[in-house]
Amino acid sequence: MIEEHLVDPSLSLFNQLFAAATRSASSAMSRWTSGEIMLTLDEVRDIPLEEVVGELDMGFDLLTMVVLTLEGDLSGQLILTFDEENGRRMAASLLNRDVNTDPQWSALEQSALCETGNILGCAYINVFTDLLDQELVPSPPMFIQDYGASVLEQSIMSQAVTSERVIICRTRFSREGQELDWNVFFVPSQTLLERLERAIESSNENN
Amino acid sequence: MSSVAAANKQLPMVGMGQIVMVTQPEVARAVLGSCIGVTLYHPRARVGAMAHIVLPRSSGRTGPPGKFVNTAVPHMIELLEDAGAKVFGMVAKLAGGANMFKATGPMQVGTANIAAVRELLSELGIRIAGEHLGGAKGRRVTFDPVTGDVIVEIAGETQVVL
Repeated sequence: MIEEHLVDPSLSLFNQLFAAATRSASSAMSRWTSGEIMLTLDEVRDIPLEEVVGELDMGFDLLTMVVLTLEGDLSGQLILTFDEENGRRMAASLLNRDVNTDPQWSALEQSALCETGNILGCAYINVFTDLLDQELVPSPPMFIQDYGASVLEQSIMSQAVTSERVIICRTRFSREGQELDWNVFFVPSQTLLERLERAIESSNENN
Repeated sequence: MSSVAAANKQLPMVGMGQIVMVTQPEVARAVLGSCIGVTLYHPRARVGAMAHIVLPRSSGRTGPPGKFVNTAVPHMIELLEDAGAKVFGMVAKLAGGANMFKATGPMQVGTANIAAVRELLSELGIRIAGEHLGGAKGRRVTFDPVTGDVIVEIAGETQVVL
């Protein structure tokens, strides 16, 4: 059971791993946005199931999201969320166009954000792949406009099957030092969590 | 957003695995994905409860009663009986059970939740007075015990009142 051994020392290990993954993602994001956007690891949280949505400020609002799913035994979800204004600005900047005011996101805007999610996701996944020495297979990114809480709920389901608590990594974004209302949530399955934990311990022993 | 939900914006939502007894003039709210929101309501007693259920059955696993269909529904009935309602006359309204990422495979939690709650309510003789289930999108639900209405909102769609 996850709660029996994923106590504070494990959170420390995961902090170490996710901080490295976030640095990798930040470098990739900086290259993708010509140095405009940076990432910092906000927290690795061990949260009671019933408090997840409230603790992560997911609220009742609609969000724009890009979701990458890790498929296979070592599964998980990476969810990029952002508010409408900054998402639009990001897409416009990447496309070198004025900000679109049409309520509907164009296919091109969606594609730009999906590519952003893909770049971020691959940066995270590459760090995990190196650690595990096993290939992780991400799905194509999905552009979703929905309630953030609904998407997060689906993502934590694989941990919820066996635990009353879930472990979630959250990363924040900044543009030229100013924090943006964007987040990346990484929600590994319990199997992936356990494999990562063992791999970090093994790596630390060998170093 | 519905007027009911807007007027009660400060009220907390029903979190995953939680059951909330709702008395007038409060409303209960939840945001659902593959979880299923079950409201049990007794029109004559004017009491109701909402559960945000995560999984179809406990199968010996521990957890709060609201986490599993087979423990949540009996617990809701107990709470309503304690509040003076009888099982006879209780009605249920259901929402949620989506498959958010259009996943495939043998275990679809949303579908399994829907089947489990329908089966249990049938065994208990509780009528399902309304339902809004399945699909691939999240739902925002608001339960008003004054009317027994459950308002279901889906992004980009007209709200539905069960």
